[in-house]
Amino acid sequence: MQKMSPSKKREALSFYLLISPWLLVFFALGLLPLLWGLYLACTNYTGFNFNQLHWVGLSNFSTVFHDDDAISSLFRTIILSIVIVPLSTAIGFLLAVLLNNKIKGLPFFRTVFYLPSVFPVIAAGLMWQVMYGRQDGVINIILGYLGIHPINWMGYNLAQTSLVLMMLWGSGGALMIYLAGLKNVPQSLYESAAIDGAGSFQKFWKITIPLTTPVIFYNVIMGIIGSLQMFAQPMLLTPGASWNTVPLQPIYLYVVNAWIQIFTNNRYSYGLALLWVLFIVVFILSLIVFFTSRYWVYYESGEE
Amino acid sequence: MVNQKSRLNRVVLYIVVIVLAAIFAFPALWTFGNSLNDVYATVSLLPSSVHLSNYKLAVTLIPFMDYLWSSIIISGLTVVLTTVSSAVVAYGFARFRAPGKSFFFILIISTMMVPPLVTQIPTYIFFNKIGLTNTYLPWFFWGIGGNAFFIFLYRQFFLTLPKELDESARIDGCSSLGILWRILMPISIPIVVTVAVMSFQSSWGDYLTPYMFLDSTKWNLATALLGSSYTLPNNPTIILKPVIDAAAVLLTIPTIFAFFFGQKYLVEGIVTTGLKG
Repeated sequence: MQKMSPSKKREALSFYLLISPWLLVFFALGLLPLLWGLYLACTNYTGFNFNQLHWVGLSNFSTVFHDDDAISSLFRTIILSIVIVPLSTAIGFLLAVLLNNKIKGLPFFRTVFYLPSVFPVIAAGLMWQVMYGRQDGVINIILGYLGIHPINWMGYNLAQTSLVLMMLWGSGGALMIYLAGLKNVPQSLYESAAIDGAGSFQKFWKITIPLTTPVIFYNVIMGIIGSLQMFAQPMLLTPGASWNTVPLQPIYLYVVNAWIQIFTNNRYSYGLALLWVLFIVVFILSLIVFFTSRYWVYYESGEE
Repeated sequence: MVNQKSRLNRVVLYIVVIVLAAIFAFPALWTFGNSLNDVYATVSLLPSSVHLSNYKLAVTLIPFMDYLWSSIIISGLTVVLTTVSSAVVAYGFARFRAPGKSFFFILIISTMMVPPLVTQIPTYIFFNKIGLTNTYLPWFFWGIGGNAFFIFLYRQFFLTLPKELDESARIDGCSSLGILWRILMPISIPIVVTVAVMSFQSSWGDYLTPYMFLDSTKWNLATALLGSSYTLPNNPTIILKPVIDAAAVLLTIPTIFAFFFGQKYLVEGIVTTGLKG
């Protein structure tokens, strides 16, 4: 190993001192709990029996794969993500494209589209309860004026649709980033494309979208990670929502199940195994998106 | 002819944008409208008369002020500590060379993939075991540790600042932290405000960690409002919906204020950093 000069050593020491707040907390409240959780997932921990813990190996994990609640909620959650993430990406992007047309009142519209995405999840859920109520919900009142009978938005058949609509309300979350990305596309590209006879659709498809794919990529990854962890939204779409609510089966999602196993059924070790499986699923899905990104994400040459 | 066509296009564009804006604004506006309605009124699209009484009930039927206080402590701790600490860590990554640096940077970025509950539940079990639950200590520690995404944002921004700034300050005898505090932070205001606003909004709306780490009397507002009992005091089966709406509005207002406070910088902060992912 090369010997470091004193000034290089000092620089390295400064680096580690500066990142030490993150590093220490990462070890103490990140890595250690992560591994300890994995250990507890391999025991019979129920929340009370610290003195009689025994090692049960991977049996909690094999239970996960034989537990219909876990597996069906996992697939349900993944399918909902596959619906929500592309739709909300597309809506967010189209909103940005619309607003990028030198529109008057841009700050106003930007605010209207963006704000719902930063509302506290609980508040947003309470607002959608107002929308979806069966007898006194706004949507049904409006439908009533049109002579349509009340629809049970939070019932078995429509709960998933209602959940998707509610999630799409937050589509404006990436609006600012998309707007910035669109502004960053050099005007000269459009001009030379126009000279070559490209129509506006072609310009959009061949220039606008490719140049904003890095931003889209980031939002797709974050969208997947976020939507696989939906928790409060399905709870709030259950009439009389509270901390003890069990959502209807169509919106009985993976993290909801893990939460109920831990805090309602005291199956701590099993719940931790469930969460570790989620971690692995998130990791694999992110890797897939990441490795496919070289085929669809455009990077300027010279930039990593 | 061309002019006419483009004028028509603009009219259609405005109609589409206005209709979409109306749809996006509708749930919040209607909740606000309903919160002003008479508590016993049948639901209608416009309140029959304006009442502030629902807001009074919203803050008196449950220990609202206690919850609010808890929200303020949690968000206050988180915003101040995270905003400062993330900048310090990012400064290390942006300006210093050291063996292992790229490893730790990749490590920070990959922590964004870990579902928070995977670490929070064992942390909760541990804190519970040593009797440290029902304090605000966890938020203190999490705040000190900074936030992976914010560290990334700061780093990207610091990398765009010329190194000569640091060097001339160092010649004048400024320490590393002094350079960060006196030179880099003041010119990084857009990103500082962006980070502060984002960490406020996420901590204000957080409900999972307060549920785990605090007793129900110490819950923050968001946690308490999931399943709060806004019912008639003498008849718990009657749910006072306009009062719940008022509470939802009250929970939302600080996040709207934070947005307007930071709006100018939010756009600028995102423009300069958000694109180089």
